[in-house]
Amino acid sequence: MDVRAQLVMVFNLDKCLGCHTCSIACKNIWSDRRGAEYMWWNNVETKPGAGYPKFWEDQRKYKGGWVLKGNYVKLRAFGKFSTLLNIFYQPYMPKLEDYYHPWTYDYANLYNAPEADDQPVAEPVSLISGEKIDIEFGPNWDDDLSGSPLYAENDVNLDERRIISSFGKLFMFYLPRICNHCLNPACVAACPQRAIYKRGEDGIVLVDQNTCRGWRFCVSACPYKKVYYNWNTGKSEKCIFCYPRTETAQANACAHSCVGRIRYVGVILYDADRLDVALKVRDEELVEAQRRIILDPKDEMIRRAAKENGVPDSWLDAAIKSPAYALIREFEVALPLHPEFRTMPMTFYVPPLSPVLATQRIAYDVEDHEAIPDMEHLRVPVRYLSKLFSAGNEDVVVDALQKLIALRAYMRAKNLGESPDEQILRKASLDTGATERLYRLFTVASYHERYTIPSLHREYLDVAPSDERRGGRGFGIIAKPRGGL
Amino acid sequence: MLDVLIFAVLPYFAIALAIFVTPYRYFSNRLDWSTFSTQFLERRSLYWGSIPWHYGVVLILAGHIIGFLFPSTIQSLLSDLSALIALESIALGLGLMTLFGSIILLVRRFSGVVRAVTSYADWVLLLLILLQAATGVYMGLFVRWGMEWYLHTAVPWLYSLLTLNPQIGFVSGLPLVFKLHVAGAFLILAVLPFTKLVHFLFLPLDYLKDPPILYRWVRREKQLGK
Repeated sequence: MDVRAQLVMVFNLDKCLGCHTCSIACKNIWSDRRGAEYMWWNNVETKPGAGYPKFWEDQRKYKGGWVLKGNYVKLRAFGKFSTLLNIFYQPYMPKLEDYYHPWTYDYANLYNAPEADDQPVAEPVSLISGEKIDIEFGPNWDDDLSGSPLYAENDVNLDERRIISSFGKLFMFYLPRICNHCLNPACVAACPQRAIYKRGEDGIVLVDQNTCRGWRFCVSACPYKKVYYNWNTGKSEKCIFCYPRTETAQANACAHSCVGRIRYVGVILYDADRLDVALKVRDEELVEAQRRIILDPKDEMIRRAAKENGVPDSWLDAAIKSPAYALIREFEVALPLHPEFRTMPMTFYVPPLSPVLATQRIAYDVEDHEAIPDMEHLRVPVRYLSKLFSAGNEDVVVDALQKLIALRAYMRAKNLGESPDEQILRKASLDTGATERLYRLFTVASYHERYTIPSLHREYLDVAPSDERRGGRGFGIIAKPRGGL
Repeated sequence: MLDVLIFAVLPYFAIALAIFVTPYRYFSNRLDWSTFSTQFLERRSLYWGSIPWHYGVVLILAGHIIGFLFPSTIQSLLSDLSALIALESIALGLGLMTLFGSIILLVRRFSGVVRAVTSYADWVLLLLILLQAATGVYMGLFVRWGMEWYLHTAVPWLYSLLTLNPQIGFVSGLPLVFKLHVAGAFLILAVLPFTKLVHFLFLPLDYLKDPPILYRWVRREKQLGK
């Protein structure tokens, strides 16, 4: 047993209101730089929808992630030698337009325009070339357009494209995304320079800016398209899980700023020895296999193995208090995003119930039995959710949704002073204690219950690594990139 | 005078720059050590530029190096006329690929976004590689059987450079286009540490032998005193 710790983020999609505060907090801190204007390490997209970059989930186009071939898990696009043969031009890399062309406005014209009959306007100019451009696409261009034939209808998770045009069946929810800091990161495996690595202590995946040469295989290989190429520095960048914050036990900027309190950050322990086995199961079994390698932090044997592996006591305690462990493993309501990419992503999503009902007529039907709808009446189709969160295994999603529904039914009855039916809970394999805990986590949990991030204890290390960065300016770029002479 | 400059002064100057400045840049600041790829911004013409240029130049350069390392073996190989014609034809084809690619690579730099991210160093480099491809192809076409005479002129002269006893007599009688080709080659070597060309100093041995997932341990490295 090789017990390792991993920082994990969980998103409760029922509560995401699509305000993009997380994206702005992230951008202000990390990607408000030349070359990084187009990057949104944290983004929130509307589902069904095109996403960011456009149609990132479509691996027929981008060839990201891993595939199971016999008893081997291989990168979908290239092996080692074909990587080197394709190093001069990458066939599957997204282009700038798949994200959007970053722009600003020529505000000076508002002041400097000569006197004329018309009001002066601030025309859009490219942030790359400074030339005037026509804006054809931008960040969150399809925000809330879940009925759009141009974007939403081409969502690869939709079996039935017609569902989009049928007004009564229209549905949407928001999907906030950061780097998943995967256990089997495709970006790391694809880098011929070995510039990307996973930190052993907390599992954060980082790009070493000193080693990166800009071969860009990470950009193509990441099936979530969460590694970005900085055209100014000629290097790749990605979400760093706000490690300077988490190392000092502070919540990530996106989580910290979340208005809807949808995010949870905590430690999980996993068995790195069983990772290999868990990656080689059939698509439908992936969620279950991923859950099985997550270990119980209360188990004495596991704690001992973790300690032997150098996991500090404070991390073990944090793992017990971790909301991530509770939601993912204990209650099994949080699911990974696209497990079929086989990167074993380490962000998890509680699937959305709301808006609960599709049509009013069903509401009358439902009121006869507890005001909670049946699974087939849910507005967001289970089939669609299963394509996103369980590689098509509907049972996994139904189990999670049933718990959420039972929780609502039970708490509703309780709040109305009626005698709550514990039968509902049992059917969803919950008990009153678990329900109360889930309810607390989803509703009134305090900051410190939602974010249980232990410090990395750099103070105990021989050398404070911040020494080498002292005097630097932010994100590792201590000199202006010149690109030559 | 020009011969001395091209065949004795420039080579040592270029080699000195490459040997001393490249490590300095590597150890002082690697944050701008990159391919500075523009595929992200413009890919359609890059496809026709980058692939022919890189594949052409890698093989051509390999040919030059093999000729330099094993002159007698190559000599005996080339004594067969049909082998000479076949190899010269292949080399000319690769040379044309390189020339075609370098023209595309230069021309695409003039347009909008790509121009905006092009530095002076990039312009210098692109002009040099175009000159190099053009003079190489010209020799392939009009100064025939370069493979043959390269072994008796340039190779002994290069060895004389290595022994710090430059014998420019081997090459001073060759046509101007050859001198331009040599000057171009050493100019490219001279600008190497100052341009994005450093990206070709790339040996993916770790990549080929390592397991796919790379871990770094903050605590363990510190404990080991690394």
